[in-house]
Amino acid sequence: MHTVLIANRGEIALRVLRTCRELGLRTVAVYSTADAHSAVVLEADEAVCIGPGPARRSYNHIPAVIEAARMTGADAVHPGYGFLSENPDFAEVCAAEGITFVGPPPHVMERLGDKATARAMMVEAGLPLLPGSTDAVDDPVRARELADSVGYPVIIKAVAGGGGRGMSVVHDSAAFADTYRRTRAGAAAAFGDGRVYVERYLESARHVEIQILCDTHGNGVHLGARDCSVQRRHQKLVEESPAPGLPRDVQDRMGEQAVAALLAVGYTGAGTVEFLVDSDGAHHFMEVNCRLQVEHPVTEMVTGLDLVAEQLRVAMGERLGFGQADVRLDGVAVECRINAEDPDRDFAPTPATVGTAHWPGGPFVRVDTHVDAGYRVPPDYDSLLAKIVTWGPDRATALRRMDRALTETRLEGPRLATTAGFLRGVLAEPDFRLGRHDTALLERMRSRTAEPATQRSD
Amino acid sequence: MSVSADDLATLLEALHRNAIALAATGPRPPRRVRVGVGEATVELEWDDAVAVVPATPAPAPVAAVVADPIEVAEVAAAAPAGHVVTAPTVGTFYRAPEPGAAPFVSEGDVVAAGQQIGIVEAMKLMIPVEATQGGRVEEIVCADATPVEFGAPLLVLSAVTAAAG
Repeated sequence: MHTVLIANRGEIALRVLRTCRELGLRTVAVYSTADAHSAVVLEADEAVCIGPGPARRSYNHIPAVIEAARMTGADAVHPGYGFLSENPDFAEVCAAEGITFVGPPPHVMERLGDKATARAMMVEAGLPLLPGSTDAVDDPVRARELADSVGYPVIIKAVAGGGGRGMSVVHDSAAFADTYRRTRAGAAAAFGDGRVYVERYLESARHVEIQILCDTHGNGVHLGARDCSVQRRHQKLVEESPAPGLPRDVQDRMGEQAVAALLAVGYTGAGTVEFLVDSDGAHHFMEVNCRLQVEHPVTEMVTGLDLVAEQLRVAMGERLGFGQADVRLDGVAVECRINAEDPDRDFAPTPATVGTAHWPGGPFVRVDTHVDAGYRVPPDYDSLLAKIVTWGPDRATALRRMDRALTETRLEGPRLATTAGFLRGVLAEPDFRLGRHDTALLERMRSRTAEPATQRSD
Repeated sequence: MSVSADDLATLLEALHRNAIALAATGPRPPRRVRVGVGEATVELEWDDAVAVVPATPAPAPVAAVVADPIEVAEVAAAAPAGHVVTAPTVGTFYRAPEPGAAPFVSEGDVVAAGQQIGIVEAMKLMIPVEATQGGRVEEIVCADATPVEFGAPLLVLSAVTAAAG
């Protein structure tokens, strides 16, 4: 492997580029006309314009990405997260073109990407599941019977869904048929696949996920747990490792189960197994993410490992250079996502120009961003501006550093609003501070402030 | 004649990339860069003084945005002349329907809006390139069988003023 094409944009493209450079690999950036002046385009050894702003004609357009790889002689593609990262067709085309796709084998990705199939595979591999269907339910009558037997509330999820989209919660049997129909129609429109499955919905749960790394020689390790319970509309805002309040032996057991399950299905590279942990501390498999996660830096900070470097080594066919016994989790790392969104307007995106951009620094602060002063937030993509990550020997120190880092963060511009100020409010929540929060935290914060919130992030 | 905002944006992008590529051909950063749109302009000026500005950090080689700076220079020179037809996708540009066949158009030909002027091949998909407006083919700026980026200039059309009969 000598040249890596980075099939992504924004902060993650830059983050992948940095590791490639450290490993002495040449980098190729691909970009849409909306990103022509982005940081990764300037940094990369070569850059190729692959299409206009809309992702389906650029970042999601397989022929364009492949042609760019051919033109530049790239022999590997790192897909980042989102876009083509979990697209088995893309992984297959790469293989057919003799380009190394940095990720799991296409057939494994395909089966795990279908959430109903993934559930069946993981229950087979020994992971505990919430009560519900282990397959898609296509018949509304049978689906409702199933929901009735599982007990309400239930959640209806699109088998092709992801990123917090394509799911609905149903609180009673009377509302089921209608929501079922709407969710199927929505999934068909959004993902081109209307199939859904049904499972018990936990009102009060924690989102805990395990980072896994497997090589192509049958070796695998787990790299600790991340808690991602601070979410709005099923999208993560704050993540940390390890998971607070969850005994270390429970996290270890989840890790052992997760790595065994992924090895059993032939997984290679970096992957994440997501669980819900209920109020009794029991964990239930949710889904597998066949890619690098947005929140991977918190794992890097507590393990000292560069996950992108590990992905590239696995893709080169190398063996993992360490075993489970060598994995040491040190201290606590927290990540806050700074999005161009207005918390006062239900997190509506604010595509605007960043006039002032001042990022935090100092001890134990990491900022992954592609944004500087003058950056225009394109309306075409997600609203992530930066990930601020802090580390401390204990959680209280890591959180104090995060609060300090958020205080230093200054992002200003006409019509620009960000989540930075709002996140300081989250850090100040007693439940969060004590590590007792769950996925309902933001909802509770919102219902408490009946009036529009007073915090403005800009 | 009105030009859509999209066309302008595309043209501006092409000019911008040309300017960057041209800048990289000089012995040092240019003194002045001008990028236009509409009646397309790219102008770069270098000091011809011999003294290299001291303490200028050696610029990292500007990313090789365009494979062939010479070709780009020609484009830039031709750009002001008229309407630029650009690549609809990244791929390989072909002037003829198949190897050995006569090209779709040659310099001096008068084309109608929508007339095919070439092909961009991306992963064995043959994507026709059509003239976005009518005019005379002033210059074909992209050679046959050349890899192109999205938006790369392919040929320049000038308005046909007299009635073509």
